[in-house]
Amino acid sequence: MVKMANKKTRGPDKTQANTSDIVVKKLDDATDIVRQPPVFTNDSKYICIASGRQIGIYSVESADKVHSLKEHTVDVIGLAIKDDNILLSCDASGETIEWNINNGTMIKKAPIVVAGIKEFHSFHYPGNGKFLVATPSMYTTNMSSLWIVDNYTRPRKLFADIKSTPQSIAFGCNQGNGSLVVVALQDHSVVVKDITNGVDKKHMTDQRKFTCVALHSEKLIMATGDISGRILIWHDFVHKSRPVKTVYHWHTLPVNSVCFSSEGEYIYSGGSEKVMVKWRLGMSRKQFLPRMGSSIKYIVNAPDNICVATSHSDNAIRFIDSTNKINRAIIGLVKHDPIRGFADTEPIKESVMPTGLVFDPRSRGIFFNAQAGFLQLYDPQKNSLIFNMDVANRNVLTDERNLVIGNAEVLRVAVSPTGEWLATLEVWSNMSAGYHDMNLKFWRYDAVQANYELNTDVTMPHQDRVTALSFQPGLLGTEMPCLVTIGRDLKFKIWRLVDDTDIYRQKESWSCDVAGDFRKLTPSALSFSEDGSLMAIAFQDTVTLWDPTSINLNTTLSHTLVQEPIELMEFGRDHCFRYLVCASKSALYAWDVISQGLVWKVGQLQSSVRCLVPDPKSCFMAAVLQNSEVFIFSPSSSKPVHAVPKMNSSEPIAALFVPRSNPLASGPEWLINSRLLIVDDQQEFFCVDDVSSAGFNQKLTTPISHMDSLPWTPFSAMRAEKQISAAKQLVPVIHQTSGIQGYKSVQSLLETSASALPPMSRICSLFMSDLMIKHGPKAVTAKVNSVDRTTTDLPFTNGHIDTKTEDFNEETTLQKLLTLDCQWLVETVK
Amino acid sequence: MASFKKTQIRSLPKIGQKVTADTLYWRKLNFPVTVKEFGPIDYIDVMPIEPYFIAVSSAAKVQIYNPITHQVHRHFTRFKEAAYGASIRSDGKLVIAGCDEGHVKLFDIGSKSLLRIFKGHKGPVHRCKFTTDNVHVVSFSDDKSVALWDLPSETEIIKFSEHSDYVRAGCVSNISSDLFLSGSFDHTVKLYDARSPTGSTISVDHGSPVESVLMYPSNSIFVSVGGTELRVWDMLAGGRLLARVSQHHKTITCLHLASDGKRLVTGGLDRHAKIYDVQSYQVVHTLDFPSPVLSLGITPDDFTVVAGMANGLISMQHRQTQAEARALNPKQSLKVQKKSQTAYRFRLNADFRSVNRTFNPATDVEVATKTDTNFVSRYDMFLRKFQYSKALDTVLTPYIRKKKPAITVGVMHELIRRNGLKSALAGRDDSSLSSILTFLARNINDPSHANIIIQVANTLLEIYESSSLTPQSEKLFLQLQEHVNREVEYVKHLMEIEGMLHILLASTTTQARRGSPNVVQGSPVKPMLPSAAAASNATMIYNVG
Repeated sequence: MVKMANKKTRGPDKTQANTSDIVVKKLDDATDIVRQPPVFTNDSKYICIASGRQIGIYSVESADKVHSLKEHTVDVIGLAIKDDNILLSCDASGETIEWNINNGTMIKKAPIVVAGIKEFHSFHYPGNGKFLVATPSMYTTNMSSLWIVDNYTRPRKLFADIKSTPQSIAFGCNQGNGSLVVVALQDHSVVVKDITNGVDKKHMTDQRKFTCVALHSEKLIMATGDISGRILIWHDFVHKSRPVKTVYHWHTLPVNSVCFSSEGEYIYSGGSEKVMVKWRLGMSRKQFLPRMGSSIKYIVNAPDNICVATSHSDNAIRFIDSTNKINRAIIGLVKHDPIRGFADTEPIKESVMPTGLVFDPRSRGIFFNAQAGFLQLYDPQKNSLIFNMDVANRNVLTDERNLVIGNAEVLRVAVSPTGEWLATLEVWSNMSAGYHDMNLKFWRYDAVQANYELNTDVTMPHQDRVTALSFQPGLLGTEMPCLVTIGRDLKFKIWRLVDDTDIYRQKESWSCDVAGDFRKLTPSALSFSEDGSLMAIAFQDTVTLWDPTSINLNTTLSHTLVQEPIELMEFGRDHCFRYLVCASKSALYAWDVISQGLVWKVGQLQSSVRCLVPDPKSCFMAAVLQNSEVFIFSPSSSKPVHAVPKMNSSEPIAALFVPRSNPLASGPEWLINSRLLIVDDQQEFFCVDDVSSAGFNQKLTTPISHMDSLPWTPFSAMRAEKQISAAKQLVPVIHQTSGIQGYKSVQSLLETSASALPPMSRICSLFMSDLMIKHGPKAVTAKVNSVDRTTTDLPFTNGHIDTKTEDFNEETTLQKLLTLDCQWLVETVK
Repeated sequence: MASFKKTQIRSLPKIGQKVTADTLYWRKLNFPVTVKEFGPIDYIDVMPIEPYFIAVSSAAKVQIYNPITHQVHRHFTRFKEAAYGASIRSDGKLVIAGCDEGHVKLFDIGSKSLLRIFKGHKGPVHRCKFTTDNVHVVSFSDDKSVALWDLPSETEIIKFSEHSDYVRAGCVSNISSDLFLSGSFDHTVKLYDARSPTGSTISVDHGSPVESVLMYPSNSIFVSVGGTELRVWDMLAGGRLLARVSQHHKTITCLHLASDGKRLVTGGLDRHAKIYDVQSYQVVHTLDFPSPVLSLGITPDDFTVVAGMANGLISMQHRQTQAEARALNPKQSLKVQKKSQTAYRFRLNADFRSVNRTFNPATDVEVATKTDTNFVSRYDMFLRKFQYSKALDTVLTPYIRKKKPAITVGVMHELIRRNGLKSALAGRDDSSLSSILTFLARNINDPSHANIIIQVANTLLEIYESSSLTPQSEKLFLQLQEHVNREVEYVKHLMEIEGMLHILLASTTTQARRGSPNVVQGSPVKPMLPSAAAASNATMIYNVG
C-alpha cells in the first residue's frame, strides 16, 4: 500500500488531485467543556467555560452562548476573573490573555515566564497581580510543582511533587486582613503555606488518598475529600500541627469535588454517585440532589450564592438553583465512556464508540454513542447537538466501591434509507455471572412530535452477540422496509415490518421473517448494493450473495488468493456498483459481482483496515488504516486517488463521508460533494477536507432545509414544501445484476387477463423499451468475462494484482453502457 | 434531575384467542333460556319497538313471546298446515304469516283476530313482509313468484314470476315502499321496483340456493347467504359483487343485523352464529348453539339474542345487566368500581408521552405496553432505596408470585443487573426461603423466564449449599431438583422427536429432487401483482378457510 501511495494517481476521467490542497482539520467545537472548572463572573450573570483552545462566555440566565473567545493557540488550562469585567485566561504554553467580558474583546496578551519551563498544568489567580501556576515536576512523572508568579516574571517555587489536577490546589482564608493561604494535595498529605505570614505546615491522615481540596474564603477552614468518599473539615490548620477535624461521610466512591458556598455556610460535594450533597457546616443535616445524569467532576458556586454550577462527565454543565433543582444546562457533545469489561475480550473499536458514525438522511446529522444507554444525533453542518435520546430507558447504575456495575450499552445503530426507522441494539452483560441481555429496538420518527417513538422491542434477537445490522437501501419508501442482522450464533436474520392492523386499531410492528445460516460459518460482515437488490454476507473468507426479497442464494465467491476472514465489506456506489470491496486483516481486494471474479487485491498492508466507508455521492471509497493512514480509491481500481499520511499517534475508531449541502466549485472529485469525517480513540473529530472549502464552523451560504426535522406548527406549514433547485435529485437506481431483461414485463403481459390490460397504445412503448435494455448489460457481461479470465491466469506478483488490461476508451464505453438508460439505446437503434 | 425509571416487567402474550372489545361484548350474554317447540323453527322476527316481542313461526302455529318473561304472549293457530315467516309490522300492531296452502294471513296482535287472507299463490308462502308505508304486503312463494298486496282492499297489486325455482328469501327496503328483494333456490337474487311492473331491476347470481337476503339500512348494499357463502352486493353499482365471505362449513340459513347496523350475524347448520364487522367482513366473534341454527332474532338494543334451531329449540339469551353482573361476582365488580375511581385520579397527572407498546404473539418478539400511571410500586420504592431484600420480599407475596410471576421475574432481573441478587437472597429464614423455592420450582420450566430463574437458582444454591437447612427447605430443594430433572427428560424426548422429523423431511426432499431432476433454471418466477388499473377493476374477494 505504501508503494501504491507513492505511485502517481491514475484514473480515466479523474482530474489530477492536487494533494497539497487537502488538509486534515481537527474540529474544535466538538471538544469537551468540562476539562477545566468553569468560572462565574463577579456579578454572577455570566459563566466562562474553557473548551480546548476556545473560551465560551455563557449567560447564566438562559444558558446561551454570548461570546466565543478564540485567540489561544494551545489548550486553555485555567480561567480567572481579574476585575468586575475582565477575564484572565492562561493556556498550556503560559500565554495569558485578558479579555473584556462585556464585548468579548482582547485587552492584553502577556506570557508567564518561569525559567526553563515550557509547559504548564494549571493556573489560579489569587489576586494582586500574583498567579499560581503548576508546572510538570522535574523528577516524578504525573506530579507538578506549584509556583507563585508575581507580575508575570518573578516566580517563586511553593511546593514540589503535588497532584496536577485543578482540584488539588486551593487558596483563600484572608481572615479579614488580606492574608493568603495556599494549600495543595499530595497523595497522602496536604501541604499548607501561609504566604503573608510565611508559615509552612504538612498534614497527614491515614492511608486514604486525597482527591480534592477547598478553602473557606474568610475563615481558616479547609475541606478535603478522599478516595473512600470521606470529607474532612480541618479547623485552624495553619497554626496547629494537629488541627481539629470533622468527618462528613456519605459518599461511597471517591469525592471528585468539594466547594464552599460564598458565605461559607454550606459545602457542596459530588462524585461518581451522580449525587450532589449539600452539607451544612457544623451540623449533621444534609440535602441530596440524586440522579444528576452522570458523575460530577467540578462544583462551582456563584459569588451571589444564588446558583451552583456542576460540571459532569457527560460534557454538560448544570445549574442548580437555591431550591436544589436543576433549572438549566449547557450541554456539549457527549463523550462515550469506554465500556469496561469489554477491553480485554474485544477490539478497542467495540469498547469506545461501538456504534461508529451513522448518517441520518432525514436530519443530515450523525448518530453515535453518548453516555451508557444513550444515543446522540450531531449536526456537523451547524456543529451542534440535535438531541440525545435514551435508548435503554433504564436507571443508570453507579458502581459500588469494589464492584463495577455495568449499564446497558448501545452497540449498533442503523437508519432506514428514508430516515423514518431507527434500529438500535443494546447489550448489557455481566461477565462474571455469564449472563447477558440483548435488545433490538425499532424506533419510528414521528414528524408531528419531532421525536422517535419505540415501535418494537425484541429481547434476545440472536442467541449470541449481533455483529452487524443494516437496512435494505434503495427503496426510498416504496416497499415495506427490511432489516438484516448477523450474529455470532452463526445466523443471519431478516426482519420485516408487518402490518398488524385489525378493525380495532392500526398497528405495524417488526417481526423476524427469515433466519438462515451458511455451512455453520460465522458471518462477519454485511453489505447491501446501492439499489438494495443484492445482499452480500461474508462468512469468514467466503462472500455469499443473496436476493433480499426471496432469500435465494445467488452465488458464493471465494478464491485461493484470499483466505483470511473478511472483517469489512462494502459495495461500491454509483457506477462502481458492481464491485464489492472486502478487507481482511492484511489485504484489501475487490470482487466483481456480475462477472463473479476477483478484480484486484492489495496484500501485505502495513496495518489492518479499520474502517471502509463508501462516499454516497460519488463512486469513491475511503479505507482508514489502524495507523491512521487514509486512502481514497475507486473500487474499480486498486490505485488510490489520494493518500493521507499518518495524522498523529491516535488510533481511528470510525469514519464517515458527510455530504455537503453546497458542492465545492473546484477540487478533487471525491471532495466535491462530501467530506470525510474521522473519529479517533480519544473521540476527537478530524475532517479531511479541501483547503478552499468552507469549514464546518463557518456560516453556510444557503440555509439547510430542515423541513422534516421541523416540528409541525402553523409556521412550518407555511414553508414551501418544495424548493426549486438545480441540484441533482436523488433517484433510486436499479442495477441489473441478474436475470433476463424484460422477463418481468413479458410475464406481466401474459399473466394479466386481456380484459384488465390497458390499451396497447399506452403500454407498447414501455414494453418495447423494457425489452431493449436486454442487449446492454449482456454485451458488458461478455466483455467482463474475458477480462476476468485474464485475471485469474495472472500470477500473483508483488503482493498486488491489477487486472485493468483494457485500454482507456473501452473502459469509458463500458461505463457509458452501464450508466445510461434505455434512452441512449433507443437513439442508437433509430 | 432525571426521575427514577420504573423496573421493566416483560411479560409474553398468551397464545390463543385474542381478547377484543367484541369478544368481551358478546361474552356478556347470559346462559340461554330454552323453549322446546314441536317442529323446526322456521323464522323469528323481532318487533322493532319496545317491548320487542318476538314472533316465532314453527310447525302449524305462530307464537309471540315476551323477551323478558320468556312466556308466550299470543299464539295464532289458525293454520291448517305449517305456518311460515311470521313478521310483525313496524308499529307492533299486526302480524302477517304465510302458510303451506299458499295463503298469506294477517292477524291483529291485540285481539288475536284474523283480519285478512291474501289468496293468489299456488304454492306455500315461506316469507312475507310489510312494506315501510305499512299498507302493503310482499309475499315470496314456492310457486316461483313474488307478489305485492294492498292491505285495505286485500287485492294483489303486482306479481313478478321471474324466478325458476322456489323463492325462499326476501326482504323489503326500509326507505322506499316500492323496493323489495327476493332470493330463490335458482341461485339468483332479484331487486324489484313496484313502479316498474315490467320486471326486476337488478338480478345477481349468488352461486348456490339463496337462503336469506338482507338490505342495509342505507339501501346501498344488500347481502345474500346460501350454501356456505355470504355475498355482499353493491346496489348502486347495479349489483357489483363487493365481497365474498365463507366462514361457515355448512349451509348458512339466516342473516341479521346487530349493534345498530355495525355488525352482521349469520347462523348456519354448523351450529354456529358468526358475527362480522360490516366494514371489513372479518369475524369478530362466534356464538355456539347445540343444534343447527335455522333462524335468528336480535333485539335492536342487542339485549336479547334469540336463535331457533332445527330440533325445535328456541334459545333466548339476555345481556347481563349491571345489577346482575354485580350479583354474580361481587368481588370483581368492586374492583372495577375502584379501578374506575383510581383511573380518574391518575388521569389527571398521567404521562401522555409514555410509549405505547403492544404484543405481537407471532414470535418471541415482545412489543410491550408500558403502563401509563405515575404510580410507583412498592418494589420500585425499595429498589430506589437500594433495599434489595425488601424489594424481593414485596414481589414474593402469594398474590404476585402466583398471579403475576412476570413481576417477580422482572424484579429478579433488575437485581441481577444491579448485582444485588446475592445480598437479596442471603440470610433468609425458613418461610421466606420456601416461598422463593416454590416460586422457582413452579416457573423453572417456563421458557420465557427460564434464563433468569436459572440464574437465581444457581445463586441460591451457591449461598445455601454449605449452610444447614431445616428438613422442610431440604425437601423443597429436592423438589426443585426433581422439576429440573423432569424438564431435562422432557427436552430430551423433544429432541429425539425433532431428530426423527429431520430424517423424514430429509428423505422427502431427496425423493422430490430425484423425481424432478430439472430444477428451475434462471431467475425465480415471481407472482405478478395486478396493476393499479386492474386492482381498481377487480372486486374485493375474501376466501377464508
